[in-house]
Amino acid sequence: MYELVSTVKRDYIVDLARQDKRADARALDQYREVSVETGLIENAQGSALVKMGNTQVLAGVKIQRGEPFPDTPSSGVLMVNAELRPIASPTFELGPPDENSIELARVVDRGIRESETIDLDKLGITPGEEVWMVYIDLHALDYDGNLIDAASLAAVAALWNVKKPQVEGWTLEEFPVVKKPVAVTVAKIDGKLMVDPSLDEQNVMDARLTITTIEDDSICAMQKGGIGYLTVEEIKAAYELARIKAAELRKHLG
Amino acid sequence: MMGKPEKLIVDGKRLDGRGPDELRPLKIEAGVLKRADGSAYVEMGKNKVLAAVYGPRELHPRHLQQPDTAILRCRYNMAPFSVDDRKRPGPDRRSVEISKVIREAFEPVVFTKLYPRSGIDVFIEILQADAGTRTAGINAAAVALADAGVPMRDLVSSVAVGKVDDTIVLDLTKDEDNYGTTDMPIAMLPRKKVITLLQMDGHLTPEEFERAIEMAMKGCEQIYEAQKQALKTKYETKPEEG
Amino acid sequence: MLYAQNREIVIPGQLIAEGSHSIYGGAFKEGNRVYSSVIGLMNVRGQDISVIPLGGRYMPRRGDTVIGIAMDSHRSGWILDLNSPYVGNLFVSDLEGRKIDLDKEDISQYLRIGDVVVAEIRDVDERMRVLLDASGPGMGKVRGGKMVEISSAKVPRVIGKKGSMATVLQSTSGCKIKVGQNGRIMVWGDDQRMVNAVVEALLMIEREAHTSGLTDRVKQFLEKMKSEGK
Repeated sequence: MYELVSTVKRDYIVDLARQDKRADARALDQYREVSVETGLIENAQGSALVKMGNTQVLAGVKIQRGEPFPDTPSSGVLMVNAELRPIASPTFELGPPDENSIELARVVDRGIRESETIDLDKLGITPGEEVWMVYIDLHALDYDGNLIDAASLAAVAALWNVKKPQVEGWTLEEFPVVKKPVAVTVAKIDGKLMVDPSLDEQNVMDARLTITTIEDDSICAMQKGGIGYLTVEEIKAAYELARIKAAELRKHLG
Repeated sequence: MMGKPEKLIVDGKRLDGRGPDELRPLKIEAGVLKRADGSAYVEMGKNKVLAAVYGPRELHPRHLQQPDTAILRCRYNMAPFSVDDRKRPGPDRRSVEISKVIREAFEPVVFTKLYPRSGIDVFIEILQADAGTRTAGINAAAVALADAGVPMRDLVSSVAVGKVDDTIVLDLTKDEDNYGTTDMPIAMLPRKKVITLLQMDGHLTPEEFERAIEMAMKGCEQIYEAQKQALKTKYETKPEEG
Repeated sequence: MLYAQNREIVIPGQLIAEGSHSIYGGAFKEGNRVYSSVIGLMNVRGQDISVIPLGGRYMPRRGDTVIGIAMDSHRSGWILDLNSPYVGNLFVSDLEGRKIDLDKEDISQYLRIGDVVVAEIRDVDERMRVLLDASGPGMGKVRGGKMVEISSAKVPRVIGKKGSMATVLQSTSGCKIKVGQNGRIMVWGDDQRMVNAVVEALLMIEREAHTSGLTDRVKQFLEKMKSEGK
């Protein structure tokens, strides 16, 4: 469902952006208040609730036995799924996952998979027959902009919340999570770049760029979204912002 | 996974130490979400449930609109990580049935005739499940509807009763539901003490049924107190200074 | 016989009175007994009882001033979103205050999708079809300013008794405001800091509408913001 933005709101936000200001008085490089709470879902092997301003995402990690992919018979399998259900926003509709929930799941997945955050090679059980499946389920509870950063942070926090899974047949000492990738989304409004777009900013922006980095500042995933365009200079500037903010957000992961 | 214990009640105490007519620990909070018009978070034992209400609002598609009344819609959904064996996302037959009986539990109380051509949507998300999720969902939805300012004749309070070791017990846990013989969720309007949801599977003699209903209604009265308190607490916080 | 005190918070289904009372708003009768239908403040005036809701969506009423957003257009007018279960209909002749020759003029020159309009509700029929008039003084298309959305149930508090709260907001801040009964409020001002301060004050009123001494707290807050800016 499409969200109607009034011209008054649009003009107000664009006008402020021209002055390097934002509607909620944040600086261009400032996140809303972020909190991470882990371990709240006992039935899950790991869980985390992230609040970014009013946006709330709950991530649950379930570890179960399953079949490996044919080309990696001794490696565990990672699957990331996102649910954008109508509870979180009047613009979310019931039905099979739409392009927004699929994009969200795949971007979060990319950040975790490409950085090799989970040592999947350690998660084999019987080669070619059985391996450990790691399911990360992202459940949006309240949508006020920037689901990607909130969901990514929740997913990684939930992975690090898994200690020794209480599942039958688990033999490893600890769950093999080794990296902390952090996604930072930068929105472009009238040529200005700002991090952690609120809902209003997201509805007004020209484009957004999400950059996921790991502890050594290297990039493991990127995603441009929105109907506008980005210059190469803007992309480089966005990376600088992402690098610095990722380090700050990473502190929430303990 | 634990096999069936020999006895589910020992010396009058259930596996979790409760007496037969005791509720699990209950926590209710009103107004926990920003986007929704009304919302509530409920914990009943290990159940963790979130309910949100949107409406009355424009109803789409238009052919569903009723000229003289609002349409009440309800969707009950379990998060994939809410249960032991991960649940594949998407509606299953159980969720569809539960959504229907929950909607019908609220139909008698909501003043739908005040809002022609509109829709009132209730969403229940089970974040963690430990038997009695539909009852927890109803308790949350009632508070969410009130929080949204939807006019109602009464709240709705809900709890399940069952039978384990030939004893009628209130507010079953998952183990009691699995190893017991009977599960009977009910929902009640606290004021008139009438029943708006009743389901049962298992085995009860007429006498056992009477005792079960009586115990359930007493349980609902306790839950109603907690629902009232949650709503009043939201508005009784002191204003900030300066 | 009253079972709840004036200004007490009551919940749906709660017994609030018994006997021959007139009820209006937020309450219903079963036989001789009066019950609240919403979460709200008990309001007793002699034999009249009502419950003032603390929430709920906006229901269009004839005579209300509302702030709408154009969401669709047709040949002779627009459909406005009113932040309500019901939309508003605005014909171009009721925006411009004169008859428009639709064969000669394209109405999009007067209003586009997304534009904001201050209007009065001229009529609401039994099927909740709403007719708007935006040709009067102080009405019409909105230019500039910041729009705030609060719960429509709290709007009376923003206006205050005889406009007292609205006066405090404007005179203390130096900003101009226009309040829609549907919960939308426009704020205009030259000083961005004070515009933001008024927005914060409005959100404070929404949170604390059911408490007393609010007008004084709002005044203190705005005066503090004004002096800090100097």
